[in-house]
Amino acid sequence: MKYLGLFVLISVLVWACRKDKIQFEVTPYQLQIPGHFPAMQIPADNPMTVEGVALGRKLFYETRLSLDNSIACASCHVQENSFGDPRQYSEGVNGTLGTRNSIALINLGWQQSFFWDGRAKTLEEQILEPVPNPLEMHQSWDKTVAKLSADQNYRNEFFIAFNASEITKELVSKAIAQFLRTLISANSKFDVMYKVANSIPLSAADQNISAQITPEEWYGFDLFKSLNDGDCFHCHNGALMQVQKFSNNGLDFEPADLGRESITGNSADHGKFKVPTLRNIALTAPYMHDGRFATLDEVIEHYSSGIKKTEYTDPLIEFAHQGGVQLDAAQKSALKAFLLTLTDEQFVKNKAFAKPE
Amino acid sequence: MAVLYVICIMKRFNFYFISCALLSLVLVLGACDKDDEPDTPPQTTGTVHEVSIYPFFGADSLYLDSVYQTVEGYRVKFTELKLFCSEIGNSGGTIAVDAALFDYAYSQHRFCSFSAATGLYPNLSGYIGIDSLRNHADPSAFPTSSPLNIVNANDMHWGWNPGYIFMKIEARVDTIDDGSDLFDHNVVFHVGNDENRVLFGFPSVNWKQENGKEIARIKWDLAAVLQGASPIDFKTEFTSHSAPGQEALSLKVITQTAAALSILP
Repeated sequence: MKYLGLFVLISVLVWACRKDKIQFEVTPYQLQIPGHFPAMQIPADNPMTVEGVALGRKLFYETRLSLDNSIACASCHVQENSFGDPRQYSEGVNGTLGTRNSIALINLGWQQSFFWDGRAKTLEEQILEPVPNPLEMHQSWDKTVAKLSADQNYRNEFFIAFNASEITKELVSKAIAQFLRTLISANSKFDVMYKVANSIPLSAADQNISAQITPEEWYGFDLFKSLNDGDCFHCHNGALMQVQKFSNNGLDFEPADLGRESITGNSADHGKFKVPTLRNIALTAPYMHDGRFATLDEVIEHYSSGIKKTEYTDPLIEFAHQGGVQLDAAQKSALKAFLLTLTDEQFVKNKAFAKPE
Repeated sequence: MAVLYVICIMKRFNFYFISCALLSLVLVLGACDKDDEPDTPPQTTGTVHEVSIYPFFGADSLYLDSVYQTVEGYRVKFTELKLFCSEIGNSGGTIAVDAALFDYAYSQHRFCSFSAATGLYPNLSGYIGIDSLRNHADPSAFPTSSPLNIVNANDMHWGWNPGYIFMKIEARVDTIDDGSDLFDHNVVFHVGNDENRVLFGFPSVNWKQENGKEIARIKWDLAAVLQGASPIDFKTEFTSHSAPGQEALSLKVITQTAAALSILP
């Protein structure tokens, strides 16, 4: 009997000392997917949370990701340029220049490959590259993690977002990916035009915008879709204004940059690059993988009369044999007017995407 | 509690003693980490049936970007082969697969799979193309697992009301027999529109058992497409987007494609 009390005491101590996991309950992040967009597929190992998105946004603007603490992702992906870079080539640490124009970060949650040559299959994989790249942030991930880990605030935020007691590069990537998936652009005049073309009901706000669309803009949309005029839709199609493919669009007879071929080793991919979205195209100059065209006029001129046809040119550029679609001045003007309807002012001014205060 | 009292009486043990002992037992057991059992995924009923498509050029297996020769002597490299099929089922009207997309470049021979009782599909039929109702529906509204969702359909949808592209054949052709390689003649057949939906069928399917699955392999003979009921000459018939004026060629391509499908032994 006298040992019973001791037995009870020990049992209580065992109970009290059990290692309950201290967990912070994250808040699911509700992505606002536009009604005319498909659902976004979120990887099972990186669900969207309020805490993860907030951390990712902070990291996107964090210059300690670079060797000399001078460059963040946002240095080459500028919000007012629809998260593209207005410079032909981005500048890395110590002013080193890249070899391709930075792609605008729009609607990334629907992409099936990343980089101009598609070498990354997931957003999380893509994010891991710029930090150690000598042409970009030029800092090892070990050093990057050490810098972040030295910051008590980051340690707390990673713990809250991922229940992680240690910061790793994978978690950094996941956080930034969560933030990038929130960069959804779907509020342009074009979106109303798309809904009209697809018999999708318009809201009152849409109807108001619809009334402002000019006949020239509608004509430009027709040219864009027409097989015998702009013929743009084969690659720039649907609500996302792109298809997921790589294409050689006749920029060069002998491309200096092999593009997709450098990844696949397949000569059929010679000079092919990822087809970009045309959303916010008015804001994402310069154009093409190497930023060779400074203006939309130059782009339109390329497709109109500047195509360099080789056996690798995309067969969907059906007028390549004559240099292009041969638009006249009025058609070029209308096509440009249509392209300008793809601008989403809300996207580039959204404070939720800006540098946290 | 009744049992407790019986024990106390029988054993003349103090009730307090029994209660404390039981409490201790509960506390100790409760200190143990209880890992949740992982959920067991529900078992599908029936046997998995897999259907795949093997492009050929006559007797030769067809590989993208490899060179084949047409009856006219043209050398051709096929670069894209896609089929958007629907309502695949048996002659009794049982639909196994409501939509399936074959994309040779992206997913090689994979076409569709379904679970069913063995022997339920001694034959197969379906459509190359999508029924009118779904063909004009919002491609963003289909479930993410459906081939009809725009994320999966990708460039097999025209982006506006005309709907889905039912089939694609793209190729580069060297039409000049001069000993030099110049595949500069492009062939683009994009066939869609409601009126071009065509039926295909196999009265007898040779299912093979492999690794616990039922496997059927379809042969798509591109040479037979070109040499069908109305031969197609790549030099003069090389483009169709099913636009006005292209109706005849569109229908010819898709009809002869349906006729060029057969079950591999």
